Amino acid sequence: METLYITKKDWDSFIKGKAETSNILAPFEDEGKLFYKKISSDGKEEIVYNRARTVEPLKLFLVPFKERVVPEVQEIPEMVIMGVSACDVQGLKILDRVFMEDEYKDPNYTNRREKTVIISFDCLAPYPSCFCELVGVHPYPEDGFDLNVSIFEDGVLVDIGSQKGRSFIGEDQKFFQASREQINKREKNRQIVVEKIKEQNREFDLEEITEKLKGAYQTELWRQPKDIENCVQCGSCTNNCPTCVCFLLEDTGSQEIMKKVKVWDSCLFPGYARMAAGVSPRPTLYDRYANRLLCKYWYIVENFGMKGCTGCGRCIAGCAGKIDKRKVLTEVLRERQRI
Amino acid sequence: MDKNIYEPIRCEVKEVITESPTIKTVVLKPEREFSFLAGQFASLTVPGVGEAPFTPSSSPYDKEKLEFTVMKTGRVTDAIHNLKSGDIVGVRGPYGKPYPLDRYKGKEVLLVGGGVGLAPIRALFLALLETITNYKRIVFCCGARTPEDYIYKGLILDQWQKLCEKHPLCFRITVDKKDEKWKYGEGVVTKTLDGLDVDIKNSVAVVCGPPIMMKFTTLKLLEIGYKEDQIYLSMERKMYCAVGQCRHCLIGDLFVCKDGPVFTYDQIKDKPNIWA
Repeated sequence: METLYITKKDWDSFIKGKAETSNILAPFEDEGKLFYKKISSDGKEEIVYNRARTVEPLKLFLVPFKERVVPEVQEIPEMVIMGVSACDVQGLKILDRVFMEDEYKDPNYTNRREKTVIISFDCLAPYPSCFCELVGVHPYPEDGFDLNVSIFEDGVLVDIGSQKGRSFIGEDQKFFQASREQINKREKNRQIVVEKIKEQNREFDLEEITEKLKGAYQTELWRQPKDIENCVQCGSCTNNCPTCVCFLLEDTGSQEIMKKVKVWDSCLFPGYARMAAGVSPRPTLYDRYANRLLCKYWYIVENFGMKGCTGCGRCIAGCAGKIDKRKVLTEVLRERQRI
Repeated sequence: MDKNIYEPIRCEVKEVITESPTIKTVVLKPEREFSFLAGQFASLTVPGVGEAPFTPSSSPYDKEKLEFTVMKTGRVTDAIHNLKSGDIVGVRGPYGKPYPLDRYKGKEVLLVGGGVGLAPIRALFLALLETITNYKRIVFCCGARTPEDYIYKGLILDQWQKLCEKHPLCFRITVDKKDEKWKYGEGVVTKTLDGLDVDIKNSVAVVCGPPIMMKFTTLKLLEIGYKEDQIYLSMERKMYCAVGQCRHCLIGDLFVCKDGPVFTYDQIKDKPNIWA
């Protein structure tokens, strides 16, 4: 992969120039947390580089909470999303597989994805809820982005991940080939973060989670971790998850013009799998909680060859019941081991 | 741009047939040809109300019309029951895996249908009839709660009976509870499997009906010697997209929409709450 170097000052003016003609979202700080906002041309607020994941998952911009799919949306604007964390770049791979790379392609997603440039950032200051290393994801992306940005001393290293990324840089003369030394130094910075994430997750053990969860359907098993009973079935974990894609379709049209609207759904909701006659195949909270985690660590692995969890930790940070999923999983896996 | 995967084909309602107090058949004329194989399903949209998956009950060989036999159980099915000739509905599909008729060749095919579960079996039966020489024999077991609840009475009790004279075909007919006019068997549908004169080793069984019926029929079939991979079940789950995206229809790790709706029992026996 080609890696370029540009001074921070030149990068800032490059982005400022881009913001005059393109719609660029980037992370900004609000009460200590990061939220995506459109870069304004006055440049008064400071973009937060290379800290950690944003509060919103990337999917919010590619699979809106509620959107008409029949007829499909005609006007989808071009968009640059900057500051995407590695966990969300990993999540994007799942979104692509679900909505674009199968025999059936979601029209809005496909269109929007083509018109979106993804600029990812390395994470240098992960949150306590971050656990990407436990699920085989690193706090820096290696592929799946158009450009990746790593702040480096007073400069910026920019990895070019796609033709789209290359076009975004264009012929700008301020970019130079990065030196081997610069790249090695970045690698050292990255490993410090890797170690930090490993260290803060030392008490949790998700080794061979997929193998261990195969067939772990039993309601009784999921009654063991006491914390699950604190789940209020609010759907925060599924809404904030970068890979939860469940949705429902609502019919809003008439006999003259059929219309369908796609709305996010959550498998934690009691009505999620309930059928017309009123029967649900997942009648208890424990069945539904199990389904979500089995889906993340087993079903999606079967479907797409990668885990559905990217270790972003949003489901932990945003849980109304204060459930730490890492603890729940560690207990369930231990119980599986014991049986 | 590809065709929108959620966009249904417009269909005109040609006729609504009352089959029983709770079951109706809607006869549709799609605006453009809609082909399917027996066992595959389609999503039927009542505009402005909702969409639900159903397996067509008409012959896959009939290119003129498309029929769905629907029990009134909820919001969308209520709206389907209220349809009138000339109304417009939407159909998209076909989706899912059909009955693997190639694997039924040379065999005795046992069909077991209960209540509205006779609908997909009817499409399968009509497909088998078209290629009847491929099969050794068809044994069709039909059940319903009462004679009044029987669907396709004109076919099962009359028209199709006549086919038995020229084809290797027989019917075993029962109701859970008979009335004074009923001249066939009484008892739940599993009772029709007692004394079955079928070479089980060289047979497949296809079952469709309410979950409780499928459960006890499967258990009975196993008891009389059918192997788990000789039993074909047509499964049902809550569903929206029908194309493996919305994830509502998962039975364990299997999608009813993509991996099913037809499964052999050995594929699903270890999955959670399969008879829900």
